[in-house]
Amino acid sequence: MSAPRPYPGDVAPDRVDEEFWEGCRQGRYLLFRCTTCDHAVWPAGGCPRHGLAPMVWKEATGQGRLHSWTVVHQRYANSFADPPPNVAVVELDEGPLVHSTVLGAARLELGMRLEVFFEDIGQGVVLPVFRPTAQEGESTGPG
Amino acid sequence: MSDAGATIVGLGLSPQGRRLGFSSRELRRQAIDAALNDAGLRREQIDTCICFGAMPEDLRYAGLSPRMSFALSSGGASPALSVVVAAGLLATGQAEYVLSVYGEAFTGDAPKLEPNHGGAGRSDIGGYSYGYPYLYGLVGPGAVYALAARRYLDRFGASSEDLAAVAVVERDHGSVRPGAIGYGQPITVAEHQASRMIVDPLRLLDCSRPTDGGAAIVLTSAARAADCAGSPVEVLGAGCGHNITNWWDGTMVSRFGAAPDAARRAFGEAGVGPEDMSSAQLYAPFTIATLLQLEEYGFCGEGEAPAFVAEGHTAAGGSLPTNTGGGQLSGFYATGFTPLSEGILQVRGQAPTNQVPDAELCLVSGSGGNGGVHGSWAHVSLVLGRPR
Ligand SMILES: [Zn+2]
Repeated sequence: MSAPRPYPGDVAPDRVDEEFWEGCRQGRYLLFRCTTCDHAVWPAGGCPRHGLAPMVWKEATGQGRLHSWTVVHQRYANSFADPPPNVAVVELDEGPLVHSTVLGAARLELGMRLEVFFEDIGQGVVLPVFRPTAQEGESTGPG
Repeated sequence: MSDAGATIVGLGLSPQGRRLGFSSRELRRQAIDAALNDAGLRREQIDTCICFGAMPEDLRYAGLSPRMSFALSSGGASPALSVVVAAGLLATGQAEYVLSVYGEAFTGDAPKLEPNHGGAGRSDIGGYSYGYPYLYGLVGPGAVYALAARRYLDRFGASSEDLAAVAVVERDHGSVRPGAIGYGQPITVAEHQASRMIVDPLRLLDCSRPTDGGAAIVLTSAARAADCAGSPVEVLGAGCGHNITNWWDGTMVSRFGAAPDAARRAFGEAGVGPEDMSSAQLYAPFTIATLLQLEEYGFCGEGEAPAFVAEGHTAAGGSLPTNTGGGQLSGFYATGFTPLSEGILQVRGQAPTNQVPDAELCLVSGSGGNGGVHGSWAHVSLVLGRPR
């Protein structure tokens, strides 16, 4: 039996992100955006110029580029007996950097185009993960 | 030079190494006594005590009677930050003799981390989790440095061998330093390449491991320093920066936090530049941190750090001997006290090995903490020198 994966509420039980996780369950990818200057952040937090007050969740493109990645070989934790294949940092087209996993890529290259999709890991938890965009997928081989 | 008055007059180091068999507070007591002895001060003269971590210092056990005692909690940046804070306390007259003390004992096995799964109230992921990235398996600082390393290698066409060169140089330094964890054990690039992958692209020999040890320094004003026994080292310049600044503009994974603020301010206060440094003692628990800092401090240009290391600049006899005690990789890991203590020894001319001739100016860095996202460390830069 594989060790349990952590769920969002285990890692950072942050009520301000509930709308984001509900969006994931509905297949919608949201970013927290400043209604004053449109600055986008994830997870919920304040705009560096205008603070938290004017921020609202808005639907985002779910498109971006691979900014960096690693594979954690060391068993630092008891969880993840069957770990995600990589930890990726994705630079979204809206600006923010987000952590995720890239699935279905034959190889990972900085700058490769990525798009979000959603992975149900059970217990009502749906995580956003990324894959090469359709065009990129063809050029980088099967996934 | 607003910090010109702050002077380090005492340095104390307990033994440093794995499983020394002393408690944390006993290691601190040993370091405190060594620092007081070095400074020629009586313990009741210490009016301010700065310690690190969540627990208050055990002043009772250490036999101290300060007017003020508090903890700094900025991870590996804290020791250098304590120097900045002490400078302010000395400048305002709130303190006359400041003790800054660290000590940890990592006895036994490293704890296995578990998610707080199922709401049983069990949570030991704490600061290692870095929040949501843990959902995807990001655990521990090594993975964060690995993300920086991958981006660096790919941006500049550098390779794992370039990281190896950093590890080899530091091991060369440590291999001749009695008491260092790498003492008597030089390594080769091939051995680095054969070491197992920890967090791609970082291999075992790219990574430090915590060691047991205590460290303490005593600071006072330049005027009082003249009456102390020890060889004084002046804080000629200091600067703070924070990688959260680089998070906002999307450059954090490419940076360590010395740029844009900390390095510039420290050099500016001291009225010197990187070319004036006799040596550099960098906070670098993973090899990539040395490459990033060599560039951010302006010792070489962007993308040029691998060549800078390959040309021997950071080695003994080079233009900028770096982490001359073996650093955190091959010397000992006492958080920010590893680079700070070596910087003090170099400026004094008292390094047991690899003493840089006429080492009048030394750069010391510290890095750590977490500003709400992995890698958003605080950074502190110090320019240490002989009183002038
Ligand atoms: Zn705004």
